[in-house]
Amino acid sequence: MRILRKPSYRMITEAETPDDAPKKALIYICGACQAENEMKPKDPIRCRECGYRIMYKKRTKRLVVFNAR
Amino acid sequence: MVEVLRDKEFLVKEYLETRGLYSHHINSFNAFIDSDLKKIIQQNHAVRSDADPNFYLHFKNVSVGHPQVDDGFNVTRNVTPQECRLRDLTYCAPIYVDIEYVKSGMKYLRKGFIIGRLPIMLRSNRCCLYQKSDAELAKMKECIYDSGGYFIVKGTEKVILMQEQPAKNKILVEKDSNGVPTVQVMSSTVDKKSKTNIIFKKNLIYVCHNALEENIPFVIFMKALGVCSDQLILQMVGTEFAIMNQMYPCFLEGSKLNIYTQKQALRFIGDRIKKMGFSSEDYDSRVITEVHDFLSTVILAHIPVTNTNYHMKAIYTSIMVRRLIFSLSNPDLFDSKDYYGNKCLDLPGSFLSLLFDDTFKRFTFELKSVADKNIPKVKATPFDIIKYIRTDTITNALVFAIQTGNWSIKRFRMERHGVTQVLTRLSYLSAIGMMTRVNSQFEKSRKVSGPRSLQPSQFGMLCPSDTPEGEACGLIKNISLLAHVTTESEDDDAVLQLALNLGVEPVGLYSVDGLHEDYMYLIIFNGNIIGSTNKCIDFVDKFRRCRRKGIFSKFISIYISERHKCIYINSGDGRLCRPYLVVEKGQPLLTNAHIDDLKRGYCTFQDFIDQSLIEFIDVDEENNCLIAYNEEKIVPDTTHMEMAPFSILGICASVIPFPHHNQSPRNTYQCAMGKQAIGTIALNYQHRIDTLQYNLWYTHIPMVHSKAVPMINYDKLPAGQNATIAVMSYSGYDIEDAIILNKASVDRGFGRGGTFRNSKCFLRHYPNQMMDSIQGPIIDNATKKPIYKHRALENDGIAAIGQPVFDKQVTINKATPKTITVEDVGGDRGFKETPLYYKGYDPSYVDKVMITSNSDCFLIKENFRQPRRPEIGDKFSSRHGQKGVVGLIVDQEDMPFNEVGICPDLIMNPHGFPSRMTVGKLIELLAGKAGVLEGKFQDGSAFGGATVTDISNELQKHNYNYLGKDVLYCGIDGRPMEAYIYSGPVFYQRLKHMVADKIHARSRGPRVLLTRQPTEGRSKDGGLRMGEMERDCLIAYGASMLIIERLMLSSDVVEMDVCKLCGLFSYSGWCHMCQKSNSVCRIKMPYACKLLFQELQAMSIVPKISLKKYCD
Repeated sequence: MRILRKPSYRMITEAETPDDAPKKALIYICGACQAENEMKPKDPIRCRECGYRIMYKKRTKRLVVFNAR
Repeated sequence: MVEVLRDKEFLVKEYLETRGLYSHHINSFNAFIDSDLKKIIQQNHAVRSDADPNFYLHFKNVSVGHPQVDDGFNVTRNVTPQECRLRDLTYCAPIYVDIEYVKSGMKYLRKGFIIGRLPIMLRSNRCCLYQKSDAELAKMKECIYDSGGYFIVKGTEKVILMQEQPAKNKILVEKDSNGVPTVQVMSSTVDKKSKTNIIFKKNLIYVCHNALEENIPFVIFMKALGVCSDQLILQMVGTEFAIMNQMYPCFLEGSKLNIYTQKQALRFIGDRIKKMGFSSEDYDSRVITEVHDFLSTVILAHIPVTNTNYHMKAIYTSIMVRRLIFSLSNPDLFDSKDYYGNKCLDLPGSFLSLLFDDTFKRFTFELKSVADKNIPKVKATPFDIIKYIRTDTITNALVFAIQTGNWSIKRFRMERHGVTQVLTRLSYLSAIGMMTRVNSQFEKSRKVSGPRSLQPSQFGMLCPSDTPEGEACGLIKNISLLAHVTTESEDDDAVLQLALNLGVEPVGLYSVDGLHEDYMYLIIFNGNIIGSTNKCIDFVDKFRRCRRKGIFSKFISIYISERHKCIYINSGDGRLCRPYLVVEKGQPLLTNAHIDDLKRGYCTFQDFIDQSLIEFIDVDEENNCLIAYNEEKIVPDTTHMEMAPFSILGICASVIPFPHHNQSPRNTYQCAMGKQAIGTIALNYQHRIDTLQYNLWYTHIPMVHSKAVPMINYDKLPAGQNATIAVMSYSGYDIEDAIILNKASVDRGFGRGGTFRNSKCFLRHYPNQMMDSIQGPIIDNATKKPIYKHRALENDGIAAIGQPVFDKQVTINKATPKTITVEDVGGDRGFKETPLYYKGYDPSYVDKVMITSNSDCFLIKENFRQPRRPEIGDKFSSRHGQKGVVGLIVDQEDMPFNEVGICPDLIMNPHGFPSRMTVGKLIELLAGKAGVLEGKFQDGSAFGGATVTDISNELQKHNYNYLGKDVLYCGIDGRPMEAYIYSGPVFYQRLKHMVADKIHARSRGPRVLLTRQPTEGRSKDGGLRMGEMERDCLIAYGASMLIIERLMLSSDVVEMDVCKLCGLFSYSGWCHMCQKSNSVCRIKMPYACKLLFQELQAMSIVPKISLKKYCD
């Protein structure tokens, strides 16, 4: 779940947002119908399409380098 | 000549497929829901109140729904087991009842009222997986090969293990711990349990019971039961000379006590019953009623008594005494407790019904007390009992018991721990192996061999190999492939009626001493004497024919005991039985034509049972049967034939190829190790988020199968790989069972696997309207990148999927409010950080993040994947109890090879063979090699399978050495080796013990608060203990400074001030005792020592330190 931080010295401003973590990464995938759901913190966790209550986080868009050995 | 049946193992396969391997758990649960539950509610259906005689509440028509989950706001929804696992829910279904009750003088009826929720066993007839096709199961994200038979409670899978118990309502003659001959009966009925003993002590016979303060002479007991004439008593016991001799002193004692009438005897017993404090006026009548109550319901409780007619009890008691007296002169007549017919297995159904009975009684009692309390009060609204029905009484009791495994039933004074266990999902084999496990209630510490050793009567019922080593050895058993545990039959009335129709005469018809005539056999049905017959063989024969005709349940057993001169009929639950082919007139009734029909699917296994071609025989009845091992062994008297000899083994032992060639403990070791072998745990492993899950990526079907392997689906969910091994020594890194791995094989994926580990956190709501929150990563202002420990996090404060996480990195950046109580509303709204860290030497990858909500909080589960490539120190094992760790991983260039370039994956030292005598492994290698060359799986079934000659011929056919030996060339210098090397494929398992989980080192680190010594254990980054023995070495060597360094400087050194005058601790250079500072010295000592001294001082013991210069 995305949690917006309280306004404090630690807040990320738009400018500070790292490039590899775009602000849109708040979409979660329904465990039953695979529908993409946009959720805010403290929203009840429930798929808008099918009402299922388990959501999975989407794979990151970051570059992940594996050490193939 | 008897026709030889082909493919008999097909019968076993069909049997296991139609019935399921684990049906005993599921059947007993179904029986609980379908009949026991109804019976319990019927028995306790009414709630009445002392306050108002017109008030009542009746429970009617109980039924159990389908598993549901409460989604809040009273919305319920059907739920799948997988959802319960993921969301940490309980897989339970509502119990509906119709209730009829009185409210303000009117009768109301409420239908389908929920009184509680019952955890549902998976694959039972209330489970949503019941009779679902594979496709439907896959849709529910459920493994099609999963056994079911367990519960899901708060997200964890719990199994109620089968428990072994002494059989109920059986007369057992044995010597007690003091060597006193005793005859014992454990009576058990629906609402009473009691133990009655009759002992032979100082030439006299006494009746003992827990409710009696002292032992009652047998003769007096009989008189209390209404048998007043001494002659009648003697006739009841028997008029044989031996009996008369033993009874004589008993009668003398009876007359010494001056007790002749029933009333005198009752009063005598009444004086000896515990806890009787009556006032003197009505003493007499109250005592008498109390004793009547005792005689009819407490002592020998399983024998029904109507209107104080104790005739049956008198006969039963005299039979007990008769057996006791006969055993005195003939020790062979003592019964053995360990004989498996004298045991029964308690299944989950019976555990649940005990528990439900108890909780339901408490539930109704609570309602009654509410009614008692509230009805007298005058209120504006009339008393409505509905409002006081609390569903969580029953729900919580059931869930708590299954979750903790603590079964406490006050009524039976039963207090059991560890009834349930978490289903171990290390491998598929460990999970299904758990469903066949039998636990016995014996104390593990007791050093008695009887209960632990194999009993001949366990043959074919319990696996002879599968038991743990060590303290639980022989106490934890596993049932065999074909063994079946009976559930309670519904046909008791039919059996009774039939017995009477077949000519059983009720005991009352005969004069009592007629019962003991030579031709007379007593008929005992579930522990109750129902009558006698003089045509014993004829009766039993006809009875068995009726059973084969299907007049009553196939699982009801009947057998003649010549020793007891009794015919026992048993229909109770928890008996072990096993299907056999029926043989009549030297010919099995089942023919090849039947098996062919079965193969074509024209009929089912059940048809054979219905036609009585196959019959279930329980442990007792086996005593009356002559069972042939195979067609050749059939003789004219043979009654049954074995279906498939390998079925005497349990699930874990069935996986071993050629177990009949191994030394028996090796098979036992493999049974333990097969459960630790990592493989594919279930088809749905990717959807599971377990606390720990091991996986092997590229699993193989073993080249050498046994016939049972496909039956238990071990070929679909295997745990291991076929490795080409060479039995030779190499490099010296292979001593003590160490193995050498080929690096190229490892690179290609041999033994490659991984672990999944989860971490979870809850986001709770607090009373002051605050809630846990998750915060984003902290950004370093200089680099504009997240700080190291937040590097894995994405903007939502949860680790990115696919991201490697390193030690001490945060994976969920949770924060908890600083204030949480109601009083703090409007107080500090700040948060403090309570993040979840990743801990581990090696990084893991975030595999999955699941977010869901429970009834009151959010739940986040993360799954971390860690790839595990075999490394030096990882543990491997073949299927023959031959375990070893990797000693060296060698480049393929240096490995030996043969002329076609085959290079072993693994080298095993030949010293593993001579003392272990695992010939099965040698044959597996040979068979595997032949199988590889032929392109066929080989059969390594127990007591059958391929023969060495056949295999050798096959090898020869492919131009290989007849004995399986090859010429190998040395990988280092290229010369041919001086010996032929025995090499070929062997199925190897990778065991869960891996170096990566055990590696541990520390220089400095955390300390325990109290003693300031280093912590203990890898999980706490603890130190490595230098113990007493290591200390002894250093002392012997004289390395005193090293001791000081290890025990003080590297541990808990502290500088203390000690006064040299008084010998007490001083503080800040000032001795408070002597009021001086010049006597204070500063010394170094262990903190634990300082602590000890101070603790001693706290309890008024003064330890004094006398100081001396060490150079003096």
